[in-house]
Amino acid sequence: MFPTSQQTIGPFFPAEFFGPADHDLTRVSAEAAPTRRGEAILLRGRVTRQGGLPCVNAVLELWQADAAGRFAGDADADPDFLFWGRARTDGDGRYAFRTVLPGRFADQLGPRASHANVTLLGSGLMRRVLTTLFFPRAAEELAADPVLALVPSGRRPLLLADPAGEEDGLRVFRFDIRLRGTDETPFFAV
Amino acid sequence: MTALPEGIEPEVPVPGYPNTWTHTPAQPLLPRPAGRTEMAGPVRLHRKLVPGAVNLAEATPGRPAIGQLMQIGGRILDEAGRPVAGAVVELWQANAAGRYAHANDGSAAPLDPNFTGHGRALTDEDGRYAFTTIKPGAYAVPVQETWWRPPHLHFSVHGPSCLSRLVTQMYFPGEPLNALDRILNAIPDGAARSRMIARFLPPPSVGDFFLGFTHDIVLRGRHATPEA
Ligand SMILES: [Fe+2]
Repeated sequence: MFPTSQQTIGPFFPAEFFGPADHDLTRVSAEAAPTRRGEAILLRGRVTRQGGLPCVNAVLELWQADAAGRFAGDADADPDFLFWGRARTDGDGRYAFRTVLPGRFADQLGPRASHANVTLLGSGLMRRVLTTLFFPRAAEELAADPVLALVPSGRRPLLLADPAGEEDGLRVFRFDIRLRGTDETPFFAV
Repeated sequence: MTALPEGIEPEVPVPGYPNTWTHTPAQPLLPRPAGRTEMAGPVRLHRKLVPGAVNLAEATPGRPAIGQLMQIGGRILDEAGRPVAGAVVELWQANAAGRYAHANDGSAAPLDPNFTGHGRALTDEDGRYAFTTIKPGAYAVPVQETWWRPPHLHFSVHGPSCLSRLVTQMYFPGEPLNALDRILNAIPDGAARSRMIARFLPPPSVGDFFLGFTHDIVLRGRHATPEA
């Protein structure tokens, strides 16, 4: 069967769909205690569109491995980690997630550096866009990542999250997404 | 991942919808093979996205929303036609007057206090979802050259992997605005467009209180690892 066509999420995705812990991957439900495995971190950034203007009311979905580099369904995956979170941008285009620093792993593509994946949905985006951000770790770990290697070398720095201090005892990383224009974020087809 | 046939996904820019240009990447998308991270997804996402609000048309018990009450349901399937159980299905829509209960809707059309405008369901073992709602009204898009959206439902579906994530819209059969809608017609392939249109159910099969429509949604991700 052919997959159903995508359509834009439009400007009216209900605010009621965002629960208080949806942006927090370290909890499997709003009531659950956060996972105790790994290093909890904050991931923040700003989404902009053509002209550097803020992209307001956009929906971001983040998914990644757990702190040990395992995924949901693996026998030894962290049962207290959800692997997925959702956030929306504010009037200035800013978003925030709480998660754990993802572990590295190897798969059929090769050794994967510490990374997280983003789906971005917004009014005017007729299809979702996908990107992958990389946490700043050893240069050789990044150099060996087979997905980062698909990005033209001059654009690879655009996929690196930057350390941005600490808050409440947690390390903060910043990852900005530029949908179109100068320093446009590299996006992937899948 | 195998590439989709041409014409299924919408083309941009959409005339009269300037955001489709300002928000869409100018650089070509980078092809990448799917590894573990692309195939991964949450397990039992309904713990976080809690389903249950499947009746949009009775925000106040005993006081139905204004409009033509209807039941909409169908199946969530994968590309092989197999039912997707445990999918979270989110629905949102305008009320009978074509107004969303959303801060960004500046339309002068009235709100309906008895209509919530949004709901969330979890598919059963057969991949089925069902909502009770009202048929939405059409609304004008407030851009320079105004155009009208036909009655439509917005769907957001979470399948077992992030590859199978889908946001789409559903349309109603026989609506004259369908042929003029710039968002529906951004999909080049006519057969793909016709798959976006729900099927009307004969009234005797639904009963005396509701209109009935059925609509199946097919998710990508044939090669995704099944949920544990
Ligand atoms: Fe709409």
